[in-house]
Amino acid sequence: MKVPEKGCAICQATWGDYWEEIEGQRMFFCCDICAIEFRNMIDEVKKRKGWKTVDEIKMTGNYRGRECTALYQGKKYGFNIRFDSKGGIDLFTERA
Amino acid sequence: MAGRSDAGHVMWLNRNITKDRSDRRTLSRLLADFFNLGSGSLEGWVKRRFIEKFYGSSPHPFVLSLQNPSRAVLLGYVVEHQHFLRQWVRSCSYIMARTDEMDVVSYELDNINTEYGGVGTGQPSHYELLLRMGESLGLDRKEVFRMAPLANTREAIRVWDSICRDDHWVEGMAAMHGLELIANRRLKGEGASIGYFDPAILKNEEISDQAKAFLREGYEADVGHSEQALGLVEKYSRLYGNVDDVQATFLRSIYYFDLYLMARLERSRQFESS
Repeated sequence: MKVPEKGCAICQATWGDYWEEIEGQRMFFCCDICAIEFRNMIDEVKKRKGWKTVDEIKMTGNYRGRECTALYQGKKYGFNIRFDSKGGIDLFTERA
Repeated sequence: MAGRSDAGHVMWLNRNITKDRSDRRTLSRLLADFFNLGSGSLEGWVKRRFIEKFYGSSPHPFVLSLQNPSRAVLLGYVVEHQHFLRQWVRSCSYIMARTDEMDVVSYELDNINTEYGGVGTGQPSHYELLLRMGESLGLDRKEVFRMAPLANTREAIRVWDSICRDDHWVEGMAAMHGLELIANRRLKGEGASIGYFDPAILKNEEISDQAKAFLREGYEADVGHSEQALGLVEKYSRLYGNVDDVQATFLRSIYYFDLYLMARLERSRQFESS
C-alpha cells in the first residue's frame, strides 16, 4: 500500500514513534489512535467495496473531517470520514 | 511524551503547535509563543484560542449542524445539555463556595438564576427553556430525565466537577464561563468564521417557537455572561498570580467541551429515524 513518504499515515505528523503492521505492511503513525483510525478506514472501505485490499488512500482535511479517495487496481472510491476520540468511525459518507 | 507517541500529547501538539517534530529549543519557543499574552489581555487570548478551536477554518461539526438544525440535532442538544446544565449549577456553586470576592459571588448567583433558577413565571431559566424545546419537538421531559449521559458527556462533566472542586476557583471560572463564548455573537467580529447558529432561523417557521425561545436566550445572555466572567478571571488571575494555571485549565476545559459537543451529535443520530 502506498502511504505518505514522510510522517503519520493518517495526519502526516512527524511526532511520535508508533509502528503497526496493516495489510501486511509495517507503517509509521504518530500515535496509537491514528493507527486505529487507519485500520478502521481500510476495513470499512474493503467491506463496502468488497475489495481484497487497498492500494492507496488519498486524503485532504483534518481531524474535523477528511475527504478521501481510495484506489484499488485502477478503481476509485470517494468518501468522507470523521473519527471519534478513540479512533472509531463517527461519520462515513460516500461521495459520487 | 510526544516522542513516546502519547496520543494526548501528540494530538495536542498537532492541532495547536506544529505537526513537525521539533527539537527542545524550537518547541520551547513555539510553546512560549502559544501561551504569550503579548501586549493583549488574558480575555483576548482566551477568545483567540476558543475561536481557533470552534470557529476557525474547520468549525466544530455541531456548530455546523446548528446553522440550520434538524429536529434530531435539537433533540440531541436537549438530552445531553440537561446533564451539562445540572453540572453547571454544581460548578458555579463550587466557585461561590471557594471565593471571598463578593463581585464573583454576585456574578455566579445571577448566572445560576439565568441558567437554572429563572425569575418567576415571566423569565424561565435556560434549563426550563431547554426542556420546553424538547417537548415542542415531541420529547416529554420525563423521558429526557430518564436518559443517562453519553460517555463523552459523562467524562466532560467529571472533568469540570473536578476542576471546580479541586483547582483554584479562578481556574474554575475560566473553565466554565469561557465555554459561554460558544454562543457569544460578538465572536464573528473578532475572527470567527460563523456564528453559533444562523440568526435567520429565529424567523424560520419550521423551527418551533419554544426552540427559538431557547436559542434566543443563549444568544442574548451569553455575550454578557462570558465577557463579564472573563473580566473577573483577568482581574483575579493577576491578583493571585496564576495566569499560567488559568490558561492550562481553560485549554483542558475546551478539549472536553469539544467532545461534549460531539456527544450532542452522537445523541442526535438516535432521533434521525424517529
